[in-house]
This record gives sequence, structure tokens and C-alpha cells, in this order.
Amino acid sequence: MTDPQVALLMLGLLLLLILLGFPIAFTLIAMGVGFGFYAYYRPAVDWWDNSVFDLLVNQTYSVMSSDILTAIPLFLFMGYIVERANIVDRLFFTLNIAARGMPAPMAVAALLTCALFATAVGIIGAVVTLMGLLAFPALLKAGYDTKFASGVICAGGCLGILIPPSIMLIVYAATAGVSIVQAYAAAMFPGIMLAGMYMLFVMGRALINPSLAPKAPSEDTSTGQILWMVATSFLPLAVLIASVLGAILFGLATPTEAAAVGSFGGLVLAAAYRALTWERLKESVYLTVRTSAMVCWLFVGSWVFSSVFSYLGGEGLIKEFVVGLELSPLTFLIIAQIIIFLLGWPLEWSEIIIIFVPIFLPLLEPFGIDPLFFGVLVALNLQTSFMTPPMAMAAYYLKGVSPPHVQLMDIFKGCFPFLGIVIFAMVILYNFPGVALWLPDYIYSVR
Amino acid sequence: MYQFLYFMNSLSTWVGKAFAWCIIVMTFGTTYEVIARYVFDAPTGWAFDMSYIMYGTLFMMGGAYTLCRDGHVRGDVIYRLWPPRGQAWIELVLYFVFFLPGMAALVYAGMDYAAESWSYQPYGPRGPSGEVSIFSPIGVPVSPLKTVLPVAAFLMILQGTAEVTRCIICIRTGAWPQRMHDVEELQDVLLKERERALEHSLHLDELPTPETTDQRKGEGQ
Repeated sequence: MTDPQVALLMLGLLLLLILLGFPIAFTLIAMGVGFGFYAYYRPAVDWWDNSVFDLLVNQTYSVMSSDILTAIPLFLFMGYIVERANIVDRLFFTLNIAARGMPAPMAVAALLTCALFATAVGIIGAVVTLMGLLAFPALLKAGYDTKFASGVICAGGCLGILIPPSIMLIVYAATAGVSIVQAYAAAMFPGIMLAGMYMLFVMGRALINPSLAPKAPSEDTSTGQILWMVATSFLPLAVLIASVLGAILFGLATPTEAAAVGSFGGLVLAAAYRALTWERLKESVYLTVRTSAMVCWLFVGSWVFSSVFSYLGGEGLIKEFVVGLELSPLTFLIIAQIIIFLLGWPLEWSEIIIIFVPIFLPLLEPFGIDPLFFGVLVALNLQTSFMTPPMAMAAYYLKGVSPPHVQLMDIFKGCFPFLGIVIFAMVILYNFPGVALWLPDYIYSVR
Repeated sequence: MYQFLYFMNSLSTWVGKAFAWCIIVMTFGTTYEVIARYVFDAPTGWAFDMSYIMYGTLFMMGGAYTLCRDGHVRGDVIYRLWPPRGQAWIELVLYFVFFLPGMAALVYAGMDYAAESWSYQPYGPRGPSGEVSIFSPIGVPVSPLKTVLPVAAFLMILQGTAEVTRCIICIRTGAWPQRMHDVEELQDVLLKERERALEHSLHLDELPTPETTDQRKGEGQ
């Protein structure tokens, strides 16, 4: 067997072994060490001096001292703090009153709350369950259509992985070797575009079919009162997110620094809302260490595995094969996105980005595709995998907290139009790549 | 056997939680750096090194704690369909074939790596030994971070023996011993509260809202 063939065997075995359900990080480390031992075996060298040990320790230390990944625990911490800051209910009820004049005001408010909260928190499950407990019953009580309301909550909750400062984009940046600043800049307008399209869709449907979304009863809240409510609920969180993002995009602070200041701001915010208890601080700290360990050990495994894989020539073989197919860039993009979409069924986003996206990355260059552009497409694509059966996490979370009469099928049906919007957004993005690439180019030309 | 399991889990948990507080050091240290740079116009020489040293220590030392709470991500689409005994057999084999050798390699390689780092003498033969960071002139030591590597891997082996014990208990009794639990993700807490509320009563107005979750316990082990 030639070395590249061994590499393919390694990849095939990995796919099989993942299905056994063992924690993937350790499967990757062990396979990396095992195959690496074979790859670096020299008869003249004692087995305990095999270079694979150097490779193992160097790759592990690269993860430990990565200045990109440093931002991950900080953004997670900020998310966990904000999640516990009693902020969602204020935000939703304020926006609900402020949106009175619009069509489908409560749905618009729910969507905005989801978008803003998901952006700050970055964890889909928390956003969907909190909103499912808070906004969903309110929507149903106000007479909104069940499908319509559940689509709004699920789609809004998933926006957090696309709109910066998303943790998924940091993970992608570390995997693809692009800067976080550029990844954030690239996702900025597509994120706003998608949120805007959701908003237009919600208002449009309510205008065409008013039975889906009853008008808000007119209450007499003065403009001054509304302004005060907005100033105390919407504004602080919006300012927090905007300053974190602004500091990164304008180059005032590194993503790590911005994330630290964001966490600090989150603590201040939670304290101001009288939600910062010792208990909650401990919860946030412990959840941060667990989620960081999960993501970063996966990186250790993936970097060990993939360096052995490319040393054996697996990367080159795949590249040769795919380039030899003479696909057009469009066909390649569509196939790649379909594969990633299908991977979203059995796997979580962290596994997809850290383990499987690296297989596509070396192929981008021969097809002339910008890795930033690809990353934004992947982020858009993953939105859909949270809303489609069989592994629709967002839908399951919503079902878990909604009143018993709400059927899972209704939730899926409600998500369906939003899936169409995501695919439409991907088509727009393909035809006008400037939506994603203009801002990162602009930032680079200014600096 | 249960006592051994309990001891190992407590050890990993204690270490993981202790090092979890690195996040606070990171938050405040880095915020201080930003303030020092923009307000006092006096950037620090240590903030950059501090941030990745804290980050590296945090996630490495938290690995065993995460393992003990089953927090490392699995591809469990098929796995969860199997009976507990089947799961336990597969895991038991894989702990011996994959996990323990992999972590043993990390301890072995990491010990050499750390020892080499400690043997550097950046201040000359008379100065203190130990590698310093190349990123700033004030010489932040990085040998401790390199030492974290084999120590964390060793803790993983210890927790690995606890996981092996769980597998053996499950093979014997046919059921997984319960995991220790403390804090859980908010969505899991809310989903569980919801289920409990549905069991107890069917009055919708008694169902939990985000406010009632204030009273949830964080440390109930």
C-alpha cells in the first residue's frame, strides 16, 4: 500500500469510528498517533524516538498557545453571563411595544429579540428555549398562527451562528487560517441581509394574510415611556455588541481583547440588572471551562490527525482527484455545500467545522474560491441544518418547551419558508460575492 | 468500585473547577490592558502572554472535568440506539485501544517537552532556568504552560480509569451508573423543568418561566 492510500484508509476508518459514538477528540488523537507512528517509522531510530511524539506535542502546544483560539473561552463566558442576565423578557416586551405600528408587531419583536440575543449569546439552544418559554406562549395567546410563530423563533435563534461576534466564525477562522477580523467583516453584511430578509418575510406575510398575525391592541404608552424602556433594555445590549464588534473591525483591539472587554461589559450589565449572583457567576465559569475544553480538545485531535493525514499525502491525493474531475467552480461549491448540509444531520457544527471543513479547504484555491466567502456560505448553510429533520436541534428545543398541543410537524412546517430564505440568500451571495467580500477588502485597504 | 469512581470524579471536578477561574483572570487582565493602553497610554508587557497562558491552562486542565461530565462531543446517532451493555463494551474496548494509549503518548512526549523547556537558561548559566516568552521583553515564563501539557494528559488518564470503571459497572449491572452533575446548559435545565412541571400538573400557568429558574440549584451534586 502506498502512503496516500494509507491516508485514505485513515480517513475511511475515521468515518466509521465516529459512528461508534466514542468522544471524537480522542479518536482523532489516537488515530493520529497510530498512523503517524507508521508514517514516521525509521528502522534506524528506536521506537520511542519516533518523530510522531514531537508532532503530537507540537500540535498540542500550538492549540494551547494559539492567539486566535484564545478568544473562544472569553466569548463563551460573555454568552453565558448575558444568558443569565434576565435580559430576554425586558428586551422582548419593550420591542413588542415599540413595534406596535408595524405589521405582525409581536413576531417582529420576537425576531429582533432572537437576533440580538443570539448575537450576544452565540448558543442556539439557550436562545430558542428561553424565547420558546417567553415569546412563544405570548405569540400564541395573541392569536398568531402556530406554524408562523414557531418558524420565527427557530429561524431567529439560529442567526447567532452567522452574525458576528459568532463563535462559529472564530472556529472557522482558526481552521482555515484566516484572520478573525476578516471573517467577522465578511459575515457582517450577509448576517444583516439574512435578518433583514426574515423581517421582510414576516411583515410581508402578515400584510398578505392578516389572519396569521393579529394587530396589537392599542395601548396608551407615551413615546417618552417607550423611549425610556428602549434605553434601559435594548440599548445596553446593543451598545455592548456594537462596541465589541466595532473595536474588532476598526482595529482598536484584537478579538481576544474585545471579547475580554465584552465579558467585562456583560458582568457590568448583569450587575446593573441585579442578576449577577455568586451562583450564576459560578455556573457561567464552569460552563465556560467545559465548552472550551470540548472545542479545544477537538482542535488538538484534528490538528494531530490532519498533519499526519497530509504528511502521508492524503490531502494531495484528494486535491488531485477533485481537480481531475474538471468541475466548474459552481458545481464544486454546490457539491461541497450539499455535503456539509448532509453532515449537519448526524454531526454538530463544531465537528463539521473542525474535522470536515479542512478537507475542502485545500480545494478552494484551484477553484479560485475565497476561503472567507466559503466560510460565510458554510455559516449560512449550517443555519438550515438546525431547522431540518432529522436533527433539527432548534425545532426539538422549541418542541421541548412549548405547550403540549404544538406538534413537531407544525414547527417543521413553520421553519420551511425560512429555509427557502436561507437558500435564496446563498444564491444572492453567490451572484453578488461583494456582499461578503466588500467589507474585508475595504478594511484591508484602509489599514 | 463505586468509591473509586466517586473519588476520581471528584478529583477531576475539583481540578477542572479550580482552573475554570482562569477565565476571570483573563477577563480582568485583558480588560486592564485595554484600559492601560487607551486611557493611561501605558500598555502592559504581560497581557498578551497572560491571555494565551490562561487560555491554554483553562482548557487543558478542564479536559478531565469535561470528560467526567460527558462533555466531549460524540457522533452518537447510532450509539444511542444500542442497549447500555453494548455501549459499555464498545467504550471499554475503545478506552483501551484509543484513549489510554493516546493520552499515554501525550504524557510521555509532554514530559520531555516540559523538561527541555525548563532546562533553558535565558539569563545565562547563573540566571534562573526556564524558557521565557518571545513576545515581550519582560520575559514571561512559558515553562509552566508547557508543564501543564503532561499534567493535564495525566489527569485525563486518571479520569479515563474512572470511565473504564463505569463501563465495567455497566457491563455487570446492565445500566450506566449515574453521572455526577452540577451546572447544566440552560436549555437542558429548562427542558427538564418543563418535563417535571408537565408531570406534576397540567395547569399551563404553573409552568416554569425564565424567572422561576432563578431558584435552580447550581451545585447540587
